[in-house]
Amino acid sequence: MTSDTTAPDVPSVSGTRSATRLPGSRTTSGTSRTPLRRLTTGLGTVLLCLGTLLFVLPFVFTVVTSLRTAADVARSPLGVPHSLTLKNFSDAFSQIHYGSSTLNTLLITSLSCVAVTVIGSLAAYPLARITQHWSTAVYRLFILGTSVPVFVVVAPLYLLMRDLNLLDSYAGVVLIYTALNLPVAVFFYTSFIRSIPADLEEAAALDGCGAFRTFFTIILPLLRPVTSTLLTFISLQIWNDLLVPLVFLQDPGKRTVMVNAYSFIDPHTVQPTTLFPAALLGVVPLLIIFVFFQRQVVAGMSAGAVK
Amino acid sequence: MFHRRRATMAAFLLPAIVVYGVFMLYPLARGVYLSMTDSLGGPIANFVGTQQYRSMADDPAVTDALWHTVLYAAVVVVVQNGLGLLFASMLFRRPGVRKVLSVVLLTPTLISPVMAAFIWSYLFAPTGGINALLDLVGLHSLNHVWLGDTSTALYSVAAVNIWMFTGYSCAIFLASYMSMPTELLEAAALDGASGWRRFVSIEWPLLAPALTVNVTLSLIGSLKVFEFPLVLTNGGPAGATDTLTLLVYRNVFGGGKFAYGVALSVVLLVTVVVLSSATSSLLRLRERRI
Repeated sequence: MTSDTTAPDVPSVSGTRSATRLPGSRTTSGTSRTPLRRLTTGLGTVLLCLGTLLFVLPFVFTVVTSLRTAADVARSPLGVPHSLTLKNFSDAFSQIHYGSSTLNTLLITSLSCVAVTVIGSLAAYPLARITQHWSTAVYRLFILGTSVPVFVVVAPLYLLMRDLNLLDSYAGVVLIYTALNLPVAVFFYTSFIRSIPADLEEAAALDGCGAFRTFFTIILPLLRPVTSTLLTFISLQIWNDLLVPLVFLQDPGKRTVMVNAYSFIDPHTVQPTTLFPAALLGVVPLLIIFVFFQRQVVAGMSAGAVK
Repeated sequence: MFHRRRATMAAFLLPAIVVYGVFMLYPLARGVYLSMTDSLGGPIANFVGTQQYRSMADDPAVTDALWHTVLYAAVVVVVQNGLGLLFASMLFRRPGVRKVLSVVLLTPTLISPVMAAFIWSYLFAPTGGINALLDLVGLHSLNHVWLGDTSTALYSVAAVNIWMFTGYSCAIFLASYMSMPTELLEAAALDGASGWRRFVSIEWPLLAPALTVNVTLSLIGSLKVFEFPLVLTNGGPAGATDTLTLLVYRNVFGGGKFAYGVALSVVLLVTVVVLSSATSSLLRLRERRI
């Protein structure tokens, strides 16, 4: 990974740094602007659009099929819909207890996000500013966590939660998600704070400003961009996760959307008209978030990839 | 004065160390210990050394699952990043459609793996979307029971993974493209290097860090794949899509072979750590040589 995790320039952000002048665009050097080249570029664009379309097609198909009647779909899976209906959605809504399970998932996701950002940013401050053997060791210990699959800890965690009486509790699940996502948060925040010059903090210290006040008045406001990126990443993970709630929340009233969808719908026996609306309902809340934070999402996804 | 300040700062670490230590490091250590016992998840656990690991060697289910996991990861890493690179290099040359198409390609990454598996289980069904599409274009002979045939099931599951994350891979390559020094690309254009030549001698070396990130991320992600095989096939047909994660889940929570499942999870950890660190060090070495 790189040390630069500030949001990189992504297509959506940089209008100024567009592509270089390539042969085939307006070059002054008199290089080839042949009809052949223009033809290949044009062909490439067509192929590119077709390729992208292939990736979107399953989505389109899902949406259209969700709006058709089961009999209509059975007659011709790819046919033109005769009539549109919202009945499939209301059926799926009740079948996976969408209302309550969405609230449960939102609660777990937001609590975990708050815990990870608060605890993670607090921890990152000393890790970024204290350069001693022990702090490097602690930092390494956190980074180690980024490559530990949840499966490795799921069994011992189950025993631990049972002993702590935290099975079937939101608190238990939130604690697990916090621990699982702390490594990523510590990595992001530490590298970001390292890129902030320490002059301001030193000046504050000379003025008698304590570590607490320095952190809250100087560091915290600067962490906003990296926090939104991190939150996008973490909330995606938690919202979409199946394993943790499946194992640690057996109480039907506390289940999340994914667990309910997985337990109530067997994809091999039900109609696509049941399957697809459920899948769409599971995606909708995230899509809303995505549209709101589109820039951070794209930046967040490609963060750390650019030197 | 600065000494006291440093002590206060160090105290900021406490909450993180407590949560991370209790719910991550301690379970990790306890898991390694449990894998060397005969624990059934109850209070009784006798130390048995490497017995669980030794019995894995004679268990065809485990050797098969290990092979499936590695094969799955190899297919996903190569195809997903190959496609991602292809899309990124074509998009970079076309500023007009770049933003729209890269965002569109990212949409599948927002779905949860469970939901993606829902959609694709119908697309792969015997009378489902893909076969219907083949009929439509007159290729009925290519109809196939994608998830029901041992020779295609694992690749079909991998296809869902590739569909979901190609946009992610493309976004990382594209971000790397956008940060390339303009002068260099312009100089190449002036020298008349175009198309393939320019890609091989200029872009490909500059993309090395992005390749490292992409390969490492997709490798780790595909080695710990769980939801796709669980929902699409549940390990079938005839165990053809059993992965290490499915075996861990089945043994720990459904089979009375608790310690064996924990030992399997340690094997998963070793596989992920060894393969991902080997790959990323190799790729980093390559970056330095370029």
